[in-house]
Amino acid sequence: MSEQKFDSSKGYVALLGWSLNAIEAADKFDRRYVVVAPDWAETYCQEHDIPYVPWNFERLNDRSVEIAQTLKDMGVDVAIPLFEETVEWAGAINSVLMDQPKLFGQSLLLRDKALMKRRAQLGGIRVGIFEEAHDKEDVVRFLKRVNQTLLKLDGDPNDPIHLKAFDKAGCLGHRVIRTPDEVDTIPEEEFPVLMESHLDGWEFAVEAWVHNGKIAFLNISEYVTLGYSVFVPATPDLEYYREQITREIEKLIKTFDIEFGFIHPEYFVTSDSTMYFGEVAYRPPGFKVFELLERAYGFNAYQALIMTFDPKTTEEEVKAFFPKEVVDAKGYAGCFGVYPRRRVVSKLEMPEETENHEYFESHELTAPMEETVTKRTAFGTHWGLLYFFGEDPYVMRDLLKHQEELDFYV
Amino acid sequence: MSNSDAGSPAPVVNFDKLVQRLDDAITALDESRAFAKPGKLPRLFDTVRRVLLQPGGSVAIQERAEWIEKAGVFWGTDWADPSILLPSLTTHSLQSPYADTVIIEALSELRLLAVARGDYLHESVSAEQAHHYLTQVLAINLNMLFGESGEAEREQGKLALISRGVVQHVAKQIGYEHVIDRLIEEIWRILQQRPIQVNSVRQMITQIALCRVDPNVDLGGAGQGAERLISSLYGPTQACREDPGIPVYEERLQSMDSGALQSEATGFARSMHDTGLVSPYHAAFVSYILEKQDSMLTEALGLSSTGRDCLLCYKDLVHELIREGVFPETAQGLYGLALLLERGILYQPPVAPALWRQARLSICAEARERIQLAYGYQPQPKAWLIQGVLNMLGQPLGVGQGNNPTCQSARALSMWAYNDPDYLLQMVAWAARDNEIIMHFEGQPVSSAASRGGVASEVTLDLDPVSLVVVPHLDRIYAEMGRMCINRPGDPHEWVNPEFHGWSAGRGFRINVDVATGQLEDLETFLRHFYASYHPYYNGNQPLIHPQPAGVAVTDSAARFIGWHAITILRVTLDPEDTMRVYFYNPNNDSGQNWGDDVVVSTAGKGERFGEASLTFEQFASRLYIFHFDPLERGEPAEVGVDELERVIGRVHRSWGRDRLPAEVLQAEPPREG
Repeated sequence: MSEQKFDSSKGYVALLGWSLNAIEAADKFDRRYVVVAPDWAETYCQEHDIPYVPWNFERLNDRSVEIAQTLKDMGVDVAIPLFEETVEWAGAINSVLMDQPKLFGQSLLLRDKALMKRRAQLGGIRVGIFEEAHDKEDVVRFLKRVNQTLLKLDGDPNDPIHLKAFDKAGCLGHRVIRTPDEVDTIPEEEFPVLMESHLDGWEFAVEAWVHNGKIAFLNISEYVTLGYSVFVPATPDLEYYREQITREIEKLIKTFDIEFGFIHPEYFVTSDSTMYFGEVAYRPPGFKVFELLERAYGFNAYQALIMTFDPKTTEEEVKAFFPKEVVDAKGYAGCFGVYPRRRVVSKLEMPEETENHEYFESHELTAPMEETVTKRTAFGTHWGLLYFFGEDPYVMRDLLKHQEELDFYV
Repeated sequence: MSNSDAGSPAPVVNFDKLVQRLDDAITALDESRAFAKPGKLPRLFDTVRRVLLQPGGSVAIQERAEWIEKAGVFWGTDWADPSILLPSLTTHSLQSPYADTVIIEALSELRLLAVARGDYLHESVSAEQAHHYLTQVLAINLNMLFGESGEAEREQGKLALISRGVVQHVAKQIGYEHVIDRLIEEIWRILQQRPIQVNSVRQMITQIALCRVDPNVDLGGAGQGAERLISSLYGPTQACREDPGIPVYEERLQSMDSGALQSEATGFARSMHDTGLVSPYHAAFVSYILEKQDSMLTEALGLSSTGRDCLLCYKDLVHELIREGVFPETAQGLYGLALLLERGILYQPPVAPALWRQARLSICAEARERIQLAYGYQPQPKAWLIQGVLNMLGQPLGVGQGNNPTCQSARALSMWAYNDPDYLLQMVAWAARDNEIIMHFEGQPVSSAASRGGVASEVTLDLDPVSLVVVPHLDRIYAEMGRMCINRPGDPHEWVNPEFHGWSAGRGFRINVDVATGQLEDLETFLRHFYASYHPYYNGNQPLIHPQPAGVAVTDSAARFIGWHAITILRVTLDPEDTMRVYFYNPNNDSGQNWGDDVVVSTAGKGERFGEASLTFEQFASRLYIFHFDPLERGEPAEVGVDELERVIGRVHRSWGRDRLPAEVLQAEPPREG
């Protein structure tokens, strides 16, 4: 049951996509809200009295303007994308709601990994070597050329290249290719893809809330192993780069002309302290970083999202809302995505050393539905997350790393 | 407890931190919006599980019980309303291999413990009710207090530690004395129904006996009433009072004079008829006198003049059955034999020769294997099967379906044993010897060997020996007959029941549910017809001749529909208080059930014979949905009083018919006041 009491002097927001955590955060916050989601959510919303407008995001046609008009008629001030797939919808809707046509173009830029890299390059941001591939031959050629550039001789082990879908979130469709043979394992339907050279370095992500074109809060998320584990705040070793990272983010905000909301970019920092831009998303990160931030700092990251999107939000409110980065954190919160390591599994069995570790908080693993584990193509999707919380970032880092060697499904 | 589980919980856990995590998880649920609560449960459940694995975990949960419940952990589940919880279901959930099931049950128990202790004033359950409920939970889960871990617990792994820990914690706080007395009552209640399968009763009695001699368990004044139960198994007579073991007892028999033997014989018989349980010493005794003084058999079986006559007429057969079938392990067969003789069914010409066949039957490999899996290798499968046959013929209403969805087959076995014993023996011979039963459906042969599978995917082993061998066949035939009716309109029981159970099941058929929609259909005519067929005041005072299959809608203690169930109507007559009652057989293992809305099935004290269940005619009619009748005897719909009819219909509408009202009924009935 919605028990919300909203402040009518503040904005009216539309949440694009279905996220129970986001809805609950909104319901507990002081902005009027409405959920825009596919019609399968209707019964649930009616039953629980959640404000709701049905919309099928997969259907793109000449009636698409209807949703913008509907929301405008309702008096909605801004649409907030919750998932990668709703980013351009938000751009399109906001361009109508705010009468700023550039917002739609901006959102398209943020949806296409190749376009976004070119734009970053134009803005003077360093990116690795990248190219679009339309078929397998393109991939083989790129792999060869990258390794020629690196002055490798035939027979030397190749440096890998990375393949990513243009428009999918995070690790979905992300593959690492080392030899031309491996190219054959890519299904045709995954093309076109974006190819990138491999950068040996430290990959990390940033969550930055932007208000009036300025950074309101900047978090650095440390990846222990990409696709497996992340924790916040980062170790002092990575926080050492905070100044430099902040400058990079400011560059990004300027280049992409971002006035408000939330961005989630990924970077590499190489051994010579050079930052390479990977990609940027205009929606909450996967891997439950929002939940980790709440655990570490105590503020609700979804409410922060709503606040920074709301055009009626004041400078003062933003200042009062966010804690001070790193120093205000009560500890370090991390999570680990479990992949079964065996080919055949029959049950979930938490290792005692994990379960009894004093940093261990909870897990959201469920019993296996099938006995045979599908072979992981690309980076795949994990089977559930483990959550940890503790005082020492290095203990956290090593603990998360160690989980990779354990079996959770046997 | 303190020494048995020592060392298993890993000591490295920081319990204070863990409890802090628990508080965080409860807070998260508590502060959550109702629509988002389900998402917060996995974390809470998992944290509770970890807390309960630690020493002191139960206390930590009990202290937070009120907070946890108010945070909404039980919302939308049966546990939300403690007044409808059934103690008997706790065993299943506490032994579940699914962590969440174990945890929610454990939470509920600890919450009720807080209520029972007066620490938590609950809005829907009083401290006394909670105490009473927990006592029953303990009685039913006594094996978790004392017993060895069974197969179910092995499957459960570490979760079994949680269930045991919680049950032991509850027992410590409630007090063992309450448990034992309650358990003893429960055993007597079950024994009054004279089930054939008494393994679980034997186990419970054994546990009480062990508990009484265990110096670590302080029973206070409790457990005195267990004397008769324990002695019925372990020392029913003077010469085996202290449970000396069979070899010692056999030695003692050697040196007894006929007076001493006589007193042993009457001692055994008294104990057996008192409880329905047979001591292994009893079997040893009977084997001994069979060689030396077979005249004492009458006393040893406690026979009346009827049984004695029958024994004398068929002495060779009875001796043969005892020699082939009665061993200390199969002693229970003596009780069946005694009742079989009392029933006089040996005077039906085919029964004695059929039993001769039974005594010499060669058993096929498949049937042997099932019997050996269930009962072990000693004595031979043939002996177990003879024991089963004796018990089934002696206690036709003691057949239980075990933990199987095969109420139809159990009902058929019971009906034949009651009504058509030589037919039952034929079925046993076919199944045990030939591994195939062929029945006919409207002239077409239906073979159990050729069937595509039964209602039950696998028939479990917790059955009496006859059911163990015959039910898999019957179940397949029953399912096959059902398949042959697939394209017919209406309910397949109309054709299957008479073909499956035999000619005496009425070919006339009435159902009050529309099969296609599940809605109630013409309830009033259905009831009038039922009264006209079965109620002595409306059918010309004709007692029921053959037991008739019928279907009931079983409801839970909150009167909610659970499922359709097969029963047999046995008699309709006035009870000792001059109320018209229906006496029926329920293949369920324990007929004493609360069906809600004050409909409580009685098993003793209302004129029931052993194994019968009973309800007043009105109450029974309100749960009935299928009955059979002889179409040639069909009378006019009974002129049942409007008041009585309304009461029955009201009960239907308040229970299983709640969501089955056809639209026109709703329109036809103006809203009533109150």
